[in-house]
Amino acid sequence: MRGALRLVLALCALPAVLHAQAQPGVEGTFVIRGATVWTGTGQTLQNANVVIRNGRIEAVGPNANAAGATEIDGRGKFVYPGMIDSYTPLGLAEIGGIATMNLRSEMGEYNPHMRAVVALNVDSDMIAITRANGVTSAITAPSGGIIGGQAALINMAGWTWEDMAVHPSAAYVLNLPRQPGGGGPGGGGGGGGGGGAAAQARERVEQQLRELRSVLTTAREYDRARAAGAAQSDLMYEALRPLVRSEVPALVSADTEEQIRSAITFGEDLGIRIIILGGREAWKVRDVLARTNTPVVLGSIQSTPSGDAPYDAIYAQPGVLHEAGVKFAFSTGGASGARHVPYHAALAVAYGLPKDVAMRALTVWPAEIFGAAAQIGTIEAGKLANVFVTTGDPLDIRSQVTEVFIKGRRVPLDDRHTRLYEKYNSRPKAGGGER
Amino acid sequence: MSTLQRTWTRALRGALAVALLAPAAATAQDIAIRNATILTVSDGTIAGGTVVVRGGRITAVGRDVAIPAGIRVIDGTGMYVMPGIIDAHSHMAIEGGINEGSESVTPEVIVPVRDDDQTIYRALAGGVTSALLLHGSANTIGGQGAVIKMRWGQPADSLHFEGAHRIVKFALGENVTRASSTAPASERRFPMSRMGVEQTLRWWFSQGQEYDREWSEHRARVQRGDRTAIEPRRDLRLEALADIMRGDIKVHAHSYRGDEILMLMRVAEDFGFRINTFQHVLEGYKVADEIAQHGAMASTFAEMWGYKVEAADAIPYNMAIMADRGVVVSVNSDSGERVRRLYQEAAIGMKYGNMSETEALKMITLNPARQLGVDDQVGTIEVGKEADIAIFNAHPFAPEARVEMTLVDGKVYFDRNQAMTLRKLLDMLRGITTTEAS
Repeated sequence: MRGALRLVLALCALPAVLHAQAQPGVEGTFVIRGATVWTGTGQTLQNANVVIRNGRIEAVGPNANAAGATEIDGRGKFVYPGMIDSYTPLGLAEIGGIATMNLRSEMGEYNPHMRAVVALNVDSDMIAITRANGVTSAITAPSGGIIGGQAALINMAGWTWEDMAVHPSAAYVLNLPRQPGGGGPGGGGGGGGGGGAAAQARERVEQQLRELRSVLTTAREYDRARAAGAAQSDLMYEALRPLVRSEVPALVSADTEEQIRSAITFGEDLGIRIIILGGREAWKVRDVLARTNTPVVLGSIQSTPSGDAPYDAIYAQPGVLHEAGVKFAFSTGGASGARHVPYHAALAVAYGLPKDVAMRALTVWPAEIFGAAAQIGTIEAGKLANVFVTTGDPLDIRSQVTEVFIKGRRVPLDDRHTRLYEKYNSRPKAGGGER
Repeated sequence: MSTLQRTWTRALRGALAVALLAPAAATAQDIAIRNATILTVSDGTIAGGTVVVRGGRITAVGRDVAIPAGIRVIDGTGMYVMPGIIDAHSHMAIEGGINEGSESVTPEVIVPVRDDDQTIYRALAGGVTSALLLHGSANTIGGQGAVIKMRWGQPADSLHFEGAHRIVKFALGENVTRASSTAPASERRFPMSRMGVEQTLRWWFSQGQEYDREWSEHRARVQRGDRTAIEPRRDLRLEALADIMRGDIKVHAHSYRGDEILMLMRVAEDFGFRINTFQHVLEGYKVADEIAQHGAMASTFAEMWGYKVEAADAIPYNMAIMADRGVVVSVNSDSGERVRRLYQEAAIGMKYGNMSETEALKMITLNPARQLGVDDQVGTIEVGKEADIAIFNAHPFAPEARVEMTLVDGKVYFDRNQAMTLRKLLDMLRGITTTEAS
């Protein structure tokens, strides 16, 4: 009887455990029963069950079942693959304005060996707050320099960064040297007969580009030499090998037409895979993006268009890109706003992007873009159980997220914000302060 | 510049010209919007309803409303009509800088309005019909602001919202104390701490009281017929402070922390006046009872937090908690970006803290109207009010919501059918031959 008593006491303690700070979640076997399941494969299943076991999705469908599993009533609710914010500093950055809370970039121009994944604050308030709205993964990226480092695709829960990492090296952060005046490398953009200072600036950019090409060319030679056992290890060049082998792409910031074209050309010239980051004017070169299969991580949709552009340019662009066959993902660019990335997508829906496509750009497309499609992005048997349950359309601000699973763990939905809410909402109501 | 760039630039300039041309054609036309879902805010929702606008005012609202013959009729089938959105915190359309940062107390200055800021047009495209333009937050007591209507295309003098409060901006906390400055104390400006902010307020209002007393005494002497009475020296700054204490100028106070919000209310009470509206007030939820009891209102962000230390405890439940405890709450933009989608910001109140739909809608309509002193003129769809109206293609809180048309004073200042949109631009450009170098 002692064992049973202990079990009962342990179960009583469970709610307290669930409410502990930034718990990565409770393990177990779960069945979400009778929900509408948007799988991300093109199928939406009605009155279906999702079985979660050992961190993975075991089965999906009207007959999916597991004996002895923890039951979650999904009737009247909706299940979606966990959403992804495709560009953030989550885990690297905390409260803004405090230098010591934002150690996001290293000194120097060539830092391909800097890995964001090893520098994550697992108990970041921002991470817990992000997952509470069904955003279960994010790209977290270092910044600065010409090659800033390796961005990681991480889950918004885990005991350690190893536990959180889905793809420790999802993309390199590459900031191509740019001509002043918004043009791309190679002399485009604002030029025109400048004086000495302008010419010097232009020459400096050209020189940086020559240097970058040289670094990448050397990296390719290093890669071959190492493969043949003929070179000594160099940390920086070692880190570039997946890039020059086209195993890992580079996230290249590019917003204007010139910058995007230059980035694509650069990638072709140097034989590396490019993902455009930002893409504010991607609509101008959508045909080129589609033809070259270059994906775009769109910058925040909650932005204003540049100067002359139509008032709805940023909102309407995703719909236009989709029609042209461009694959893209949404990002907020920040840590504190990542939880609301679906509302960026909602703006795109209002201005012409089909809802189904918007959801794909929040789930399966980023998984594909960052080489993690085998792990996450859809609700299919075998994939990691990153899913969430909601009372309505995730793009609808009024919907509530009722359950979140990350790597098959049922994640607690309390966070810094709910705790402050509970504290002050339960203050006894009085006539007011003493005076 | 490449041929392609020249083509784009020409096309875009043409598009901008069209956009600028449209509002000049806004006329005082009588309009009826029929068969729409009307979110009156004052009196519930009317399905299949009609709004009639004549002479710039709402003259009829309801299901079985007779539409006068000969007026323009907008088919509102499937559409949602709501009061024009009011932004209670904006820095748009201000000439030059927004901070007279040379000293910490400058209530004598006033923001100059300009009419050529594109933000006005983009705000209209987001359903906004009026806004409070504020001085910045660099000063403990900053300058006076301006309440304007989004009459895009009209000259600056014609933008002012007649009947609105005179409003002055106070600020507390990190911005005023220049907390992020790395300069040594000897090179910085008083106040450098929240404690200093309180004393700045107390010293200046004491000066203001002294000034007011001198002038009152002088006027009394003149009244008594004393010909030897000499006018005290006029001081515009102290005069403004006296006006503030008298309630002639309403105080909107930028604030974050619960302690500084409470401090300001107690200072105001000591000098016999009330804070009209706390701005940002991100920790308002911590002192909501005190704010309600003092009689102040609140204008806040829906979801911004963590961008500086004093915003570390900001929560999206702030609006719901304050409203629940009797504070009149609005949600504002303080940005040329958020002003375009304040309807999204209001919906956040429903998600975090279960505000009702009506309470959430009030946060961008009737409540900011009250904070600007124009709630008898706008803020609801009611007969007699000025026809500041936003027409959406869906419920403003739905994901597919976008503004189709915006009326100010009964004139159509934004019409998506007439506006240059990305898709229209692309259609235009398809007709232009380009040489694509790729």
